[in-house]
Amino acid sequence: MTALLELRGVTVSFDGFRALNDLNLSLQPGDLRAVIGPNGAGKTTFLDVITGKVRPSEGQVLFRGRSLVGISEHRIARLGIGRKFQTPRVYENLTVRRNLELAVSRRSPFALLFGRLDGSAQDRVQHLLRVVGLDPQAQQLAGGLAHGQKQWLEIAMLLAQDPDLLLVDEPVAGLSDEETDRTGQLLRSLAGDHTVIVIEHDMEFIRNLDSPVTVLHEGHVLCEGAMDTVQKDPRVIEVYLGVDDDHQPQP
Amino acid sequence: MLSSSSSGGSLRRWAPWVLIVAASIILPAVLPPFRLNLLGRFLSLGIVALGVDLIWGYTGLLSLGQGIFFALGGYAIGMHLSLNSLEPGQLPEFFGLYGVKELPAFWQPFASPLFTLVALWTIPALVAGVLGYLVFRNRIKGVYFSILTQAALLVFFNFFNGQQRLINGTNGLKTDTARLFGELVGSDAMQRNLFWLTVLLVVAAWLLCRWLTRGRFGDALVAIRDDEPRMRFTGYNPTAYKTLVFTVAGALAGISGALYTVQSGIVSPQYMAVPFSIEMVIWVAVGGRGTLIGAVLGAVLINYARSLISEQLPETWLFVQGALFLLVVTGLPDGLVGWWRQGGLQHLLAMLGRAPRASTYPGLDLDPSVQAEKSSFLSHPPGGEP
Repeated sequence: MTALLELRGVTVSFDGFRALNDLNLSLQPGDLRAVIGPNGAGKTTFLDVITGKVRPSEGQVLFRGRSLVGISEHRIARLGIGRKFQTPRVYENLTVRRNLELAVSRRSPFALLFGRLDGSAQDRVQHLLRVVGLDPQAQQLAGGLAHGQKQWLEIAMLLAQDPDLLLVDEPVAGLSDEETDRTGQLLRSLAGDHTVIVIEHDMEFIRNLDSPVTVLHEGHVLCEGAMDTVQKDPRVIEVYLGVDDDHQPQP
Repeated sequence: MLSSSSSGGSLRRWAPWVLIVAASIILPAVLPPFRLNLLGRFLSLGIVALGVDLIWGYTGLLSLGQGIFFALGGYAIGMHLSLNSLEPGQLPEFFGLYGVKELPAFWQPFASPLFTLVALWTIPALVAGVLGYLVFRNRIKGVYFSILTQAALLVFFNFFNGQQRLINGTNGLKTDTARLFGELVGSDAMQRNLFWLTVLLVVAAWLLCRWLTRGRFGDALVAIRDDEPRMRFTGYNPTAYKTLVFTVAGALAGISGALYTVQSGIVSPQYMAVPFSIEMVIWVAVGGRGTLIGAVLGAVLINYARSLISEQLPETWLFVQGALFLLVVTGLPDGLVGWWRQGGLQHLLAMLGRAPRASTYPGLDLDPSVQAEKSSFLSHPPGGEP
């Protein structure tokens, strides 16, 4: 079975600084993968490389066996890769419904001008509004939503795109415990039909996802495995807690 | 209740149209030809302002070079009018001054009225489309886009200024002594017809812009303005949208320039002067960005104010314009129309001590029994007097 997404020896350097350094990673269709790592480990650059924002100086990024290097962002998105950003990024001057309508529409200017949103697309918008509980706010400007609601709206927009690969950057930052649980459930339910990569700092959240974890450090994969094994790995403890000569971690 | 609100709605919908039709019938009858001509000219500037609102107010592209497209439209109609009242074999007069014996090739097609009518908006649109595509494809935005458009404006200005032998250089082309349908372009009757044509085209341009901005296409423009990278990552190609909308704005500028030219009697490189293109942006800022009607309003109001003030106190206009711009930037970020829509009038009245009635339950304000009770309550407050 061919991998849905495969990164081979990807290196990104900004003026000599290697944000990613010989990164290798492979995902099968339907996988749910969590990516963690300390600040500056290259987590966001990793997403930038997949979505075409940053071009790798070395290595290959393959999506369904096809190279993504050098393809512009919007074409990569149309291949079926969706991305949720670290801070919620919704179109604040549009209503919630119109945010979602843009996400389900066909992308060409002429389709938007002359075409109408067909019934099934409208149903999808309505369905997603209900899934994320924003039905009552549908006619409100998205800029007026609370932080958690914006996060959910952005997730709904991502789902409306119906991508095969979802890249989710810090989905629960600033969410309440209850909202965090619901987000976790949602992401778990998406895996299987979709392939999902989640980047998160919240260890409790990652543990509840119950998925394989990849630890990044200095642009390189430090280790992979289940959360429990990863957390016991001395190298992981070292990069997270920091070690110096005087204070060796307890064995 | 329902019927009254819907009839109120249709009244609100039809009132502006009735007003426009009434004004365009009454004004030519009551205004002296000179004032009517001024109004026609300023209304035609409303069309270029609509284009500025489309690209700046909605899409966030601050172009300081709309004068290019405005002047191109003006030159198209100017060249046609220079040619159409000549005897066969004659050349426009200015060519004689520079010893040009034969009509330059690019002038030839402008002898045809049909070609000119198409060219006066397609040529500016084409130039805008090509310029826009190159700029947007290279992801030049923000202040760099503004500088680039202004630089392009200067290039065009200098080119047209220097080409005496091709288009009479700095003197421009005069149109008011030319004839159209056997009538002098500068005559009062012709100017009245041009006024009506301008009103018609302003309305048409407004309808076009509204159609562009109301639906999902307009939403996409706003989304590009607010968060372009986000649009890219959702699969939209902003270059296509920006190029399209910049092309439309170019076409509108061309139509505007042509109408302005025939009502001013001349087209010259001054239409590509840097301050003029910046003023276009000021009209939109004062009228209200992203409101469309504010662009037309701003263009007409500011220009009319300028001509009135300049007649009385010629030196003060620049100060007034500067003060107006400062006022809008600091106090009315959404312009006059935005201020009005946010209930600015009520705020102002409230500030002056004439607070309007609370409108939480407007039905109560209309109910006579409630009013009677209220007034008796106000004149004899219970427990008011010991």
